[in-house]
Amino acid sequence: MSKKLGKPDIVKLAEILDITEAAPLASELLRLRGGEMRIDASKVRKLGGQCLQALLCATATAIQDGAHFEIVHPSDEFTQSIAAYGLDLSHFSSQEHAL
Amino acid sequence: MDTMAAIKQTFFQECEEQLIELESGLLALDGGTSEPDTINAVFRAVHSIKGGAGAFGLEQLVRFAHTYETSLDLVRSGKIAASRSILKTMLTAADTLADLVRSAREDVKADDGEITRMVQQLESACGLGGAHEAPVAAAAAEPDLDFTPIQVSLDDLFGGAGDAKQSYRVRFEPKTGFYSRANEPLVLLREMARLGETQVTCDLAKLPTLAELDPEGAYLAWDVVLETDASESAIRDIFEFVEFDCDISVEKIEGESAFDDDAFARLLSLASSDTQAALPEPVEPVMQKIAAEVQSRNEEAAARKAESAKGFNTAGATIRVDLDRVERLIDLVGELVINQAMLSQRVAEARIARSSALAMGLDDLEQLSREIQDSVMAIRAQPVKPIFQRMSRVVREAADMTGKSVMLQCDGEATEVDKTVIERLTDPLTHMIRNAIDHGIEKPEARLAAGKPETGHIRLAAMHRSGRVVIEISDDGGGINRERVKSAAIAKGLIDPDAQMSDEDIDNLIFLPGFSTASTVADMSGRGVGMDVVKRSIQALGGRITISSTPGKGSAFVMSLPLTLAVLDGMIVSVAEETLIVPLTAIVETLKPSMSDIFHMGGDSRVIRIRDSFVPLIDIGHVLGYRQEMADPSNCVIVLIDLEGQARRALLVDAIQGQRQVVIKSLEANYRRVDGIAAATILGDGRVALILDVDAVVENADGKSNPPSPDPAPLQLEIVE
Repeated sequence: MSKKLGKPDIVKLAEILDITEAAPLASELLRLRGGEMRIDASKVRKLGGQCLQALLCATATAIQDGAHFEIVHPSDEFTQSIAAYGLDLSHFSSQEHAL
Repeated sequence: MDTMAAIKQTFFQECEEQLIELESGLLALDGGTSEPDTINAVFRAVHSIKGGAGAFGLEQLVRFAHTYETSLDLVRSGKIAASRSILKTMLTAADTLADLVRSAREDVKADDGEITRMVQQLESACGLGGAHEAPVAAAAAEPDLDFTPIQVSLDDLFGGAGDAKQSYRVRFEPKTGFYSRANEPLVLLREMARLGETQVTCDLAKLPTLAELDPEGAYLAWDVVLETDASESAIRDIFEFVEFDCDISVEKIEGESAFDDDAFARLLSLASSDTQAALPEPVEPVMQKIAAEVQSRNEEAAARKAESAKGFNTAGATIRVDLDRVERLIDLVGELVINQAMLSQRVAEARIARSSALAMGLDDLEQLSREIQDSVMAIRAQPVKPIFQRMSRVVREAADMTGKSVMLQCDGEATEVDKTVIERLTDPLTHMIRNAIDHGIEKPEARLAAGKPETGHIRLAAMHRSGRVVIEISDDGGGINRERVKSAAIAKGLIDPDAQMSDEDIDNLIFLPGFSTASTVADMSGRGVGMDVVKRSIQALGGRITISSTPGKGSAFVMSLPLTLAVLDGMIVSVAEETLIVPLTAIVETLKPSMSDIFHMGGDSRVIRIRDSFVPLIDIGHVLGYRQEMADPSNCVIVLIDLEGQARRALLVDAIQGQRQVVIKSLEANYRRVDGIAAATILGDGRVALILDVDAVVENADGKSNPPSPDPAPLQLEIVE
């Protein structure tokens, strides 16, 4: 389960981001929409397709909203996974407008 | 069932199919086929099992499959010849592989000693060093043999072979079901990366805003350019388990990677350009050669593409359906047929003219119901091929054990029978085959002495005949030794020493309970099971078995079985105001008795003279407890039934109502087991009718007329409509 730690909004991603984590993550991201969001991916060991969708959606929405969204401290597994998905960290940053 | 278990189950189902492929291929090779496709199919079967086993971490299976595959590869590549002895080892290895699959399915550890022995046998047969480790995780990553490199000979032009890699454009777009069945795109992407070099692009076009996002929906798609030396089918194999949960396309990118040699590409462009004319003279023949190669390459590629598309479509033409669903459908169709029969009866009772539109419409409905019923039954029908193939293993094992040389010939493998019948045929067939080898086929030296070929011949044939399936097992052995059979039966007190018996009677003695000519229980055919059990199993299936034997020439067992256990052809009879069904297969004839032909034998026993023989008379109503008093035969009808061999009984019923096909409803599942009753059915008037278990009724009746047996309590049947 993702956990909100304080301001600016830091969402600490769970280790295993599988289908069971997709809904809680999406609602957490929706709840924090519009704010400055930093997503701590330091613990991530597995990044499933549906959590990937939620994170990409959140990035796109942040860009649309003009809000800040970025992934911080990505674990090696996270970085490797997004590379395997054909993506890179710029896809998860509202600043780099990769989307 | 959870998703993983379901996938695993599918894997094991596919293993069964691959094992059949494997065995048929090996048998075809053994039979002299030298088609490269056959050895490729054999290799592919083992390779697929290994790949799947690797995915599930079935290490024992993977390791054995790996050695087996390595051995087969030597045969495939022509490094070792597919001699008889090599093929025999390969067939035994196929048996071991089947055992390992079964162990994995049942989640038990297979006997390591047995596997090691087989591995050593394979290694020594094929001259393997044993230094081939099977990396479990990498099993799926090995190149698939489907790949046949395109033969563009560049050696003459460039002095070396070109790279056989090919580029593919793969697009896959998961649907929601993909994720809900616990699949992950990352796994597929990584599987593709194992096949070669990939360039992955994530298609975000369908991504909604966060507010519109269904967290469990599917919005992403992937485009992958894969450069690999694996075949297109190897790529498609990655998506095998998810093909219904994804939109998948795999396209070959023509003329890219395989043409990446700069010199060749330059030449190619020159060949197709207008500058060709300006080229110096000596280059011309080279250009023509390349142009011809390109042309033939394109044609081959188009042909292969068509072939592979055909293969893919063929695979898509079958679906796996849970058996429960089929059975529910069969049940419902049974209800439909019953309902239709009830409707017909109501119409008949209402005295509506047969020429009326209603009656004619009803006839059409009846026809349609029958067609639906037949079609639904056909869903569950399966060819007898898998069970026949299992018998080739039985033959191999039995032949090895007895030191005899035996060849099995299977005919009519495509004959289809209901799955439930097939499942219950394995044991009787196994026993009969073992029996034929153990007792029928002679030792090689005895065969040679008798002027027969050294190798014994067993034929297993299946065919459809008069709405039933007939399975015949024949051998060219010594036939039944009637003297020995008769003396054994006398020694066991099964027959009277002075009994005058025809050859057929003697042959049928082997079906008697407790009969065995072997002085010790043989290792194989014995196993505590006699031919009486075989006969009982066949009878329990609604079948009949007959035997014919010629001394010195061999024996033949012929089984006639119903095509399905869901419907039955029966004669509807009335007994003490109850309606019963007598299976038609048991009935020999029906007749109206004359009192002068009925004789009392003391107690309740009566016999009836039918032509030249006396047949025990059984009053069904009395045996089943419907009436206390014996019925008066002059008001009844006799249904003459056939039992084992020449044994017959005359069943006394009040009247015959007719003959029809009835839908079998299990009494055990809906009520409880009732002695003398095989099942129930629902008639057109909505009443439940019981289907007689003829053998049990006869046994009951014989018990009743036999003074030493305790008086059995009358059957009390209360069927609530």
